[in-house]
Amino acid sequence: MLMFTLRRLSLFFFTMVLLSILSFSLSYFFPGDILINLSGEVNASPERLAILADQYKTNGSILNQYIHYIIQIFNGNLGLSLSSKLPNSSEIANLLPATIELSLSALIIAMFIGIPLGFIAAIFHRRQIDNFILSFAIIGYSIPVFWLGLFVILIFSIQLGWFPSAGNISLLFEIKQLTGFMFLDILFSSSPYKWQAFTNALTHIILPASVIALAPATVFIRLARSAMMEVLDTSYIQAAKTKGLTFSQIIYRHAIRNALIKMVRHIGLQFANLVTFAMITEVIFSWPGLGRWLIVSIYQRDYTAIQSGLLVLSSFIFIVHIITDFIYAALNPLARDN
Amino acid sequence: MNLLDIRNLSIELKSKNGSILAVDRVSLTIKEGEVRGLVGESGSGKSILAQAITGILDDRWEVHADRFHWKNQDLLGLTPQERKDIIAKDIAMIFQEPMACLDPTTTVGEQLEEAVPNSQLSGYFWQKSKQRKLAVISLLHKVGIKNHEKCYRSFPHQLTEAFCQRVMIAIALARQPLLLIADEPTAAMESTNQGQIFRLLASLNQLKNMSILLISHDLENVTHWTNTITVMYSGQFVEAGTTEQIFNRPFHPYTKALLDSSPNANIELPAKSRLTTLPGSIPLLQHLPIGCRLGPRCPRAQQICVQAPKTTNHHGHQVNCHYSLKENY
Amino acid sequence: MARDKIYSEEEFPSPLQQLWHSFTQTNIAMIGFYGYLFLIAMAIFSPLISPHISIESNLDMLLLPPAWDSQGDVSYLLGTDSLGRDMLSRLMHGTSLTFGLSFLVVIISLGVGVLFGSVSALTQGVKSSIFNHFLDVILSIPTLLLAIIIVAILGPGLYNTLWAIVMTLIPQFIHVTHNAVREEFSKDYVLASRLDGASSLRILKYSVFPNIVEKIINQATLAQSAAILDIAALGFLRLGAQSPLPEWGAMLFNGLDLFYIAPWTVYLPGLAILFAVLTTNLVGEGLRHAVKMRKET
Repeated sequence: MLMFTLRRLSLFFFTMVLLSILSFSLSYFFPGDILINLSGEVNASPERLAILADQYKTNGSILNQYIHYIIQIFNGNLGLSLSSKLPNSSEIANLLPATIELSLSALIIAMFIGIPLGFIAAIFHRRQIDNFILSFAIIGYSIPVFWLGLFVILIFSIQLGWFPSAGNISLLFEIKQLTGFMFLDILFSSSPYKWQAFTNALTHIILPASVIALAPATVFIRLARSAMMEVLDTSYIQAAKTKGLTFSQIIYRHAIRNALIKMVRHIGLQFANLVTFAMITEVIFSWPGLGRWLIVSIYQRDYTAIQSGLLVLSSFIFIVHIITDFIYAALNPLARDN
Repeated sequence: MNLLDIRNLSIELKSKNGSILAVDRVSLTIKEGEVRGLVGESGSGKSILAQAITGILDDRWEVHADRFHWKNQDLLGLTPQERKDIIAKDIAMIFQEPMACLDPTTTVGEQLEEAVPNSQLSGYFWQKSKQRKLAVISLLHKVGIKNHEKCYRSFPHQLTEAFCQRVMIAIALARQPLLLIADEPTAAMESTNQGQIFRLLASLNQLKNMSILLISHDLENVTHWTNTITVMYSGQFVEAGTTEQIFNRPFHPYTKALLDSSPNANIELPAKSRLTTLPGSIPLLQHLPIGCRLGPRCPRAQQICVQAPKTTNHHGHQVNCHYSLKENY
Repeated sequence: MARDKIYSEEEFPSPLQQLWHSFTQTNIAMIGFYGYLFLIAMAIFSPLISPHISIESNLDMLLLPPAWDSQGDVSYLLGTDSLGRDMLSRLMHGTSLTFGLSFLVVIISLGVGVLFGSVSALTQGVKSSIFNHFLDVILSIPTLLLAIIIVAILGPGLYNTLWAIVMTLIPQFIHVTHNAVREEFSKDYVLASRLDGASSLRILKYSVFPNIVEKIINQATLAQSAAILDIAALGFLRLGAQSPLPEWGAMLFNGLDLFYIAPWTVYLPGLAILFAVLTTNLVGEGLRHAVKMRKET
């Protein structure tokens, strides 16, 4: 297990290096002055420019510049946003938790709907319910996420009025921002309307999370179905049937675990896709998250913001990827000795 | 008393291009305490027959029989669930590659504990789990595994094939079955380990009076360790009788060819001579011959062999042939 | 005098013929396939058969409902949008943009990805693992983010977003090809060819590629449906096709402001995208099913 952790940590470190090289090289690729792209100070006076040039070592070799770029990042300096003139790190710190909340909720919804449906489809293979679930999966995968978002707002928000369509909590509630995670902030706050705020936040998150969750859920349905069909064909399930176990015992004790092991890795890979959908959905639902900020930044050509957003968002996705690797090792004893 | 009495069992696979008769009217009887061998090449339908008896075939296969009695109780008239309950209580099965038959993600100990039926335990919840553990340890000792602590905590991929087969036998013994079906138990092992497993099976047969149906294509092992033998070819019943009868006086041309092809049986082989074999190979499922399926290859076949032969019985030695070799003896 | 065939011969179809036979047996897959052919025909021939010019506005006929509505007009079968452009012609032209360009994108990424993937599968050692880690990094960047970056570098526009989507699809093809070639190389028939003296390139061309073609085609159908959705999404975010190009996603965005008065300007492009992605997915699913059927029998 120790070797596994060390390997994963070295992989993480290596990937972070590559990611930072990518992000650093962007300041060269983006149009405009390199120093302005790195620091974000568009209206800097010449003295300020000289100080920045020293900070980022723009007169030195590329390697030197890269090292100083990394030093700046470790000091927490991600530059200023070209449009809002605020430091990127504080903006990201405000917006990232909302994106994390939304995408993780969507991931959980997708897993809890997709995986059991896939298992059911595999267990009742070749029967009506299998065809029904597969058709649902194909249609669900084909709906463009922005169209679905608009449609859902039209039906559930405007016509039926069940759920709100913008923001992550009603403006009437004044929740002090401690961590940035709305649900945690509600629990920590001292407001007398805590539980109403909690339910209100829940109603706000359900629509966008469900819209994001649909496409990944259909992918999980297919993955779970093929994994479970593979597992049900193996010799040990046949042998377990002769052991005298009932069918449900076999499914719950052996088949589910082995099928989950086969598909855990793919769940981590799907997360990048899910974040793409989350970015589009944040725009549609005016969710105060990192995705919407990035899209607004591109409209305003805010290169520094894009650079820092790329770094933070990709690191977040990669961390989730590594966590799923650890879950895979925890479930599968064969992977631990690797 | 006849434990298992099957008459004219047929197993059909229904597909879009028509149905294929994988097993064609095979009869089988097993007495108490008997070790019966089921011999045939790969593709003769022996494994499918065993799976049909234990009831683990899936929906694509259809099973018909004239008679299917267990301990003189008719099983054909029962619902599939009742049949499964009765069979699961008294019949156990071990398979060909034991390591693949154990769940790779659960420890061996846990899998053994699952096999111990609740009826053998008594008492409250915590007493039951302790008794379960003791039952597992005694099972492991019965199959000759003394180091039970290490075995308990290991995963299947950390053990050898022979070890895993012993664990499978222990799992099978947990329910104290009356019949153990061994589907090519030693096909994946070297001969030293094979001997160990067979000795274990023989001792279980002696001590517990447990019947064994040994399915194999290895004629040498089968004739050494069994009391009676049934021979199958391409899904059809060919010959059945005691081991001495079959070994010394085979009635069916196929059995004779099988025995002749093994060099140990034929000690008078002159130097540099060809080994005797039947020409051709086993027919494909899509092109099964009508009547006796050995017809195209049999040296004694005549025109009447396109009709299925009837089974004849001579002092317990049954044979299914129009031109059996009985007259030669 | 012609000889009649007396003995019935058994014909064994090649794997590809078996695949086609299984594919044609599945009804749903054939429906998808015909829809796919329809879209290809539409993409190629739309300039010839569209009733009006898709970017020409007719200021007399603003926001006309579709023909089945009481205020509609048969010559504008699906209505017009806020600038008086015929919806039907715009949709047909949009086919060649959204669907046709997705096809092009997939072919480019397939070519580059398979090439790089097989080359990387042949190399071993430090070079190969660095390349794989680089690939992992790119695979963990969301496609939209990558598209945003490329748009930031190159500026907005339909053809720039195409490069963005190509950049996101290539790593997927590299990944699939790399794994498939590695898997085949560890099999015995490749070892046999090698013992015969075949070079790696020859093994790749004659032994390995015919066996991995199915996996690559599978990835291609998945990539195409992703490409259609990406082109539409980028058009919707106004990063992709610029007006007046009738790309489906951009049309959807344009219709959004006037949704209450003219809902067809939002529904119709959405349905078109749904139809295109659905047929691509049906074809892909049919191919997967046919491969499975062939492996089972």
